[in-house]
Amino acid sequence: MAASGITAGRTFLRGRRGHTMYDMCDVSDDPATEIVATLDATAGTATTLSADEFQAMLVDALPSLYRYAFRLTRNRADAEDLVQDTALRAFRAIAQFEPGTNFKAWIFRILTRGFWASHRHNQRRPTTVDFDDTPDLYLYARSAEHGLQWKGEDPARALIDRLGAERVAEAIGQLPEEYGVVCTLCFVEDFAYHEIAGVLDVPVGTVRSRLHRGRKMLQKSLWYLAQEAGIVNALSKREANA
Amino acid sequence: MTHLSRYTCEEAFRRLDGYLDHELSAEEMVLVREHLEVCAGCAREFNFESSVLKGVGQKLQQIDLPGDLQARILALLKDRQ
Repeated sequence: MAASGITAGRTFLRGRRGHTMYDMCDVSDDPATEIVATLDATAGTATTLSADEFQAMLVDALPSLYRYAFRLTRNRADAEDLVQDTALRAFRAIAQFEPGTNFKAWIFRILTRGFWASHRHNQRRPTTVDFDDTPDLYLYARSAEHGLQWKGEDPARALIDRLGAERVAEAIGQLPEEYGVVCTLCFVEDFAYHEIAGVLDVPVGTVRSRLHRGRKMLQKSLWYLAQEAGIVNALSKREANA
Repeated sequence: MTHLSRYTCEEAFRRLDGYLDHELSAEEMVLVREHLEVCAGCAREFNFESSVLKGVGQKLQQIDLPGDLQARILALLKDRQ
């Protein structure tokens, strides 16, 4: 019977207050050790998910979990391995999840930790864009300079639509990882700041400041790719001829 | 609702991120919204930013789960039970 195995070892955290994802992984500073030390311990509070409940929640979260894994690993095979590994780790740690709290944020944290533990050595990809001192409203200002504030059509959407999913992914992929990850969690996965803080194990203020800088970097990256692909020129000409 | 005074452009702009990410207090959200209703310049900037971020989110959500991944994971979990 699955449930009995899952809840074994419940006395591990006896006397501890109901815990959340935020205090799940606080054993050491080393992410790999941390995962093994905390996720191998099947500990929990008075209530835990059944195996069936876990599977249902996992299935709901899988598309976004895979999407996030793909953003981190940047290839399908590694993303699949990471998601699979995350599912197994989460299942082993099922007793640490507190029903009623945010399952998606909890399992995203496990995935992030797993990724950091195994990919830290090759996490960065060379960036071609200089992100220093990127001003606010970068894309808005550049679009205005090039006459792309046309009437009738939403200029931002026109630009993003012409860039397409592949280039938008490339744009976010060019960001230094700490900025790309917060942008992904906020703009793609719709996590609140405090949830992102939990997933990444950083203070909310850090999330806020990384997002502020990250969204400017992202806009600069989008603009450079739009220029490179000839989209800016094409839209400028169209606007001039309108 | 007696003390609400309109934000200036600067005060509204300082809250751009929080407004778009729904991270402001309810009162701040109202004050920013009220500013945007009367300031076409700020409204244009906010709408542009909002549109960029929504567009990015939608584009990046377009990744399909590999067909057999769910089945493989569920089979593995079944083995562990």
